[in-house]
Amino acid sequence: MSGVQPPARPSTLRVLLREPAAAVSAALVAITVLAALLAPWLAPYDPYETDLMAIMQPPGGAYLLGTDGQGRDMLSRLLYGLRVTLTMGALSLGFGGVLGVLIGFCAAYYRRVDGLLMRLADIMLSFPAILFGLAIAAIAGPGVTAVVIALSVATVPLMARIARSTALVVLGLDYIEAARAQGMGDARLIWRHLMPNCLSPILVFATLRFGQVILLGSALSFLGLGAQAPIAELGAMAAQGRTFLFFAPHISVIPSVAIFVIVLAFNVLGDALRDALDPRLRV
Amino acid sequence: MTPLLEIQGLRTVFRSANGDIAAVDGVDLTVPRGRTLGIVGESGCGKSMLSLSVMRLVPPPGRVAAGRVLLEGRDLLTLSTAEMRAVRGGQVAMIFQEPMTSLNPVHPIGLQITEAMRAHDPRASAAELRDRAIAALERVRIPAPARRYDEFPHQLSGGMRQRVMIAMALACKPKLLIADEPTTALDVTVQAQILDLLRDLQQETGMSIILITHDLGVVAEMADEVAVMYAGRVAERASARDLFGSPQHPYTLGLLGSVPRLDEDRERLLAIEGAVPPPFALPQGCRFHPRCPFAIEACTKAQPPLEAIEPGHLAACIRAPVESAVELTP
Repeated sequence: MSGVQPPARPSTLRVLLREPAAAVSAALVAITVLAALLAPWLAPYDPYETDLMAIMQPPGGAYLLGTDGQGRDMLSRLLYGLRVTLTMGALSLGFGGVLGVLIGFCAAYYRRVDGLLMRLADIMLSFPAILFGLAIAAIAGPGVTAVVIALSVATVPLMARIARSTALVVLGLDYIEAARAQGMGDARLIWRHLMPNCLSPILVFATLRFGQVILLGSALSFLGLGAQAPIAELGAMAAQGRTFLFFAPHISVIPSVAIFVIVLAFNVLGDALRDALDPRLRV
Repeated sequence: MTPLLEIQGLRTVFRSANGDIAAVDGVDLTVPRGRTLGIVGESGCGKSMLSLSVMRLVPPPGRVAAGRVLLEGRDLLTLSTAEMRAVRGGQVAMIFQEPMTSLNPVHPIGLQITEAMRAHDPRASAAELRDRAIAALERVRIPAPARRYDEFPHQLSGGMRQRVMIAMALACKPKLLIADEPTTALDVTVQAQILDLLRDLQQETGMSIILITHDLGVVAEMADEVAVMYAGRVAERASARDLFGSPQHPYTLGLLGSVPRLDEDRERLLAIEGAVPPPFALPQGCRFHPRCPFAIEACTKAQPPLEAIEPGHLAACIRAPVESAVELTP
């Protein structure tokens, strides 16, 4: 209890970036997001402009990443494709995640509705996401909207379960009881005490899910249910290049590698974020 | 003057496959204003459930099945959820056994204190709450409170955290503080500091305290009145002086006999044989009789009522007063 100053608490960001793999992933994610945001300014060509004199050009030369089967610039298409893919993933995760967390917290906090909500989640979990995509594409017509709806719906029960199980653990802790004994209301208790302490598993799951959602969205586009030609979307681009895999592998490989890198970067980053957000690891 | 808190016939049960099981079974207690009531008993005797019943925080599948909890004449058990919320923290506050886990690890302590205040005073400005929280930390004698305000619970020692808990509990000037084993998890020296602090704060604010503990030393030091609980019921109730001076219930005698003392030369401590019966397997008759050295045939038949042995000294034992019982025992 002397006047010794305790060491200053390092910021979350600094803790996060101390890990080399996390720093690299964070840089990759930042570059990807920036590239997607700045696509109109960065892209050297119009991604939808065809040049039939220069189809299936290999990378290098005038077209930095080559051209696709219709002579469209791969680099421009990649940048615009990132936009569509990331937006699709973020929207699905946003809608599905928020709804899932709300449902999960309700189930954990109001035990009366727990059984009902979780059985509904079980029923939803028994449908594969691709099947949702097929059904919604059949009703609303194929397109990015159908993919977002399908993936949101598929994310809700998964997130609800994670949120519920995490919340049940946290709700059993002493400080929740202490907060109740202070006369704190339900909404405030959930926001102030439950939410922050459930954040780590939810964030980690959201990151993993972001990768899955991008893969699933690409798969739906690949099957022709998602982004429709000529829209540049990473999954659809990979599908289009499939025909030329032996003559011009770069058309499929470039968007596939982009998907792989995004998914990997988000996974590593989420993992590191969990460590950084945990105040118990801050020493 | 009416007592601050009056508990009448309180019964808290847990639903199970074999019917309701009573953790608290017909307890009557009074807490006078500005005084301290100690509740003593072994683990599992229902003392914590009693305090949670007063706060209406009994975890499901438990519930308060019968009785009244009168705070200044108002029955807490009949209040609406919103009214009860205003009572919690506002008029009746609680501190818990584990200061290490009773604070939320992700928020600085200052924020947690202001949150407790905000629950009862939603219109106060952030700056005002901050000043009040720092004053509250100062009141529980935390050094450099302005700096501690922004610290996280893991940066504080156990004693400090319990002080923070007390500051939070007293933030809204409650009339009654329920302290559930407040010093059990602390070092003996820190324990004494916390008890001193509670006593000083009681004198400052005139609040009443219900002190729940299994430590008779703590009770002797702190309590004005004492209730000894056994298997969900009150076994003996008296002023602290009477209870320690002339214990009347064999269970109280057993508890006192199991405390090591420096002023007596004893070979062994007197231990009470056996353990508290679980609430689903209570014996017939007096609940203590299988462990009681004074038990007679009649003890197995009927549950003895809590009766006055002397004015203000109640015991639930047909063999009380114990002096005559000791003479009768061969």
